[in-house]
Amino acid sequence: MKSLSQEKAEFLQVLAARIVPETAALDAVGLGRFFGIMDEALQGRPPAVRRQFAAFLGILRWAPLARYGTPLENLRADRQDAVLRWFEDCPVSLLRKGFWGLKAMVFMGYYGQPETNKLVGYAPEFDGRAGLHA
Amino acid sequence: MAGRVSMREKTYDIVIIGSGAGGGAAARELAPLCADGVRIAVLEWGAKLRDDEFSGREVDMASKLYFDSGGTFTRDRAMTLAYGRAYGGSTVIYTGTSLTMPKDVVARWNVPGLEYEDVQRRALKYVEENNVHLLAEDEINENNRLFLKGCRELRYHVEQFPINVKGCKGSSLCNLGCPNQAKQGTHRVQLPQAEAHGVEVITNCRVTKISDRVCDAVVADPRFGEPSKWEPGEYRVTAKVVVLCAGGVVNSPSLLLRSGFGDHLPMLGRSITLHPALILVGEHEHPISNFYGHPKSYYCDEFWKSDSFLLETCMYFPFVTAKNLIGFGAEHSELMRAFPRLQMILVLALDPAVPENRVTLDTHGDPVVDYTLTEPLLDTLHASMLVSARVFFAAGAKRVHAPAGASFFIDATDADRVEELIPRTNVKPGKISITSAHLMGGCAMGRDAKDSVADGWGRVHGVPWLFVADSSLFPRCSEVNPYVTVMALADRVAEGIRNNAGELLA
Repeated sequence: MKSLSQEKAEFLQVLAARIVPETAALDAVGLGRFFGIMDEALQGRPPAVRRQFAAFLGILRWAPLARYGTPLENLRADRQDAVLRWFEDCPVSLLRKGFWGLKAMVFMGYYGQPETNKLVGYAPEFDGRAGLHA
Repeated sequence: MAGRVSMREKTYDIVIIGSGAGGGAAARELAPLCADGVRIAVLEWGAKLRDDEFSGREVDMASKLYFDSGGTFTRDRAMTLAYGRAYGGSTVIYTGTSLTMPKDVVARWNVPGLEYEDVQRRALKYVEENNVHLLAEDEINENNRLFLKGCRELRYHVEQFPINVKGCKGSSLCNLGCPNQAKQGTHRVQLPQAEAHGVEVITNCRVTKISDRVCDAVVADPRFGEPSKWEPGEYRVTAKVVVLCAGGVVNSPSLLLRSGFGDHLPMLGRSITLHPALILVGEHEHPISNFYGHPKSYYCDEFWKSDSFLLETCMYFPFVTAKNLIGFGAEHSELMRAFPRLQMILVLALDPAVPENRVTLDTHGDPVVDYTLTEPLLDTLHASMLVSARVFFAAGAKRVHAPAGASFFIDATDADRVEELIPRTNVKPGKISITSAHLMGGCAMGRDAKDSVADGWGRVHGVPWLFVADSSLFPRCSEVNPYVTVMALADRVAEGIRNNAGELLA
């Protein structure tokens, strides 16, 4: 990714697997599309927003250190989820918003791929009249 | 300085900035002046997509047709704004719902000289020319019919949306630009008519500043769509008579602020309203037709006057749907995989106009939107979620996902406990997805510069050559889907310019 360091991109992949479990099963091509969509979205945002996104990833990674003594990627999956849930509902609105932004980015990278549309049963047709009366 | 030396010069009599509902309607209304030798240009920031470029692909279309791909943040990042950037502006990417503004609302606007009868007469003109009509019953999909069923079961008042389509094939892709060219936005109706009269529409052209009838503009090459009529580069575009600003709620006020008009217009950029909106999802036992057919056929105005919210049918695409659900992980994926069984409702709050909600500029001169989701507004959104959940269950949904739900799903067996299961304390900005359904205000019409930016004919106070003709003119929210009202106001602004053409052109 042009928008994130290799280390941050790898951590983002760890988070993505908790947010959209299907991303863990993406092949190289799918992962390329996944990161490509997110990268393009980040590139379209002001540099300050890209820096804030990268900083938020750092906060998420190291937030468990005080309680568990290790960064998030080393926690068991259920503990990773608990940390993420805390951020989603965090009393500090800035952190809630940061987590919302992260989720939106991961959802865009996965569900924004036309290739994943059929996996959720979404199959639009330019002429939808036949489907309407099926 | 080198850049300014290479600036190319263009001269017109009338320059219109923006080609959406306001700019497109004004261009067509002013176009007959071309027969008298008047030169008119429309400068549009966005591109003109070729018909075969409307791919229906969510991320692709969002990046080509929306500012910030439809996710512009408010300053506090508690809301996102979606607004269009294209030949035709936001009329390319709305669903085409075409309501005229209620008499009560025009009265509440209280703009000197602006009468309901005048707005309504003009609105009906656009209703007719945009082929606005009600879809036949057999063209309405189950997502919409279930909403009707649920509301009727609960004895809530429901109306059918009139829509502006011609030859609709039910792709349900309206918000990504109709791939069948059925939606009768300004890109299909008013702009081609204006061009036939001699109006020039310059796409990929961003106006950065206006000073004394001169617009600084930059033409770019976005690498999609038809090439702009002008080469990429910087331009100074002189409007000998009139500049008409129709760039929308974010761009019109920010352009005028950047150009220094805020110095004598204290209300410039202020009192914007956004119709804050969110999506709820109900899951049915069996697949329903939801992404085939027009996505938006009904609205419920039962709570319009009592609780200041509306419910509308809607159908969104996988990414937008995913980001509007709360939570993540396995249960989120499970609901996404139920996509063909999902019924969706959009709720929108009718927000008050307060001066603190405004468009301003950052240190780079780019627009920033300040908007506070107040406790009363959050109360409204909460109330609308309770009602929506009841509608889903009354329609037969087996479970409901509400953004403020205490659990990810509320089962039908708990239908009588929605108040307890959707606690008000869970309506937290930043946690739930809230977006603007309609952007309004910022260049409000009114009496004078103390209370507004423009008069009832769209003329900016104290600047006889500068007009506004878009939804930024709204002094308060429209309380209904606003595009027909925008066209009616633009029609009025254009008539004012035409009637004074002799004086203005002298």
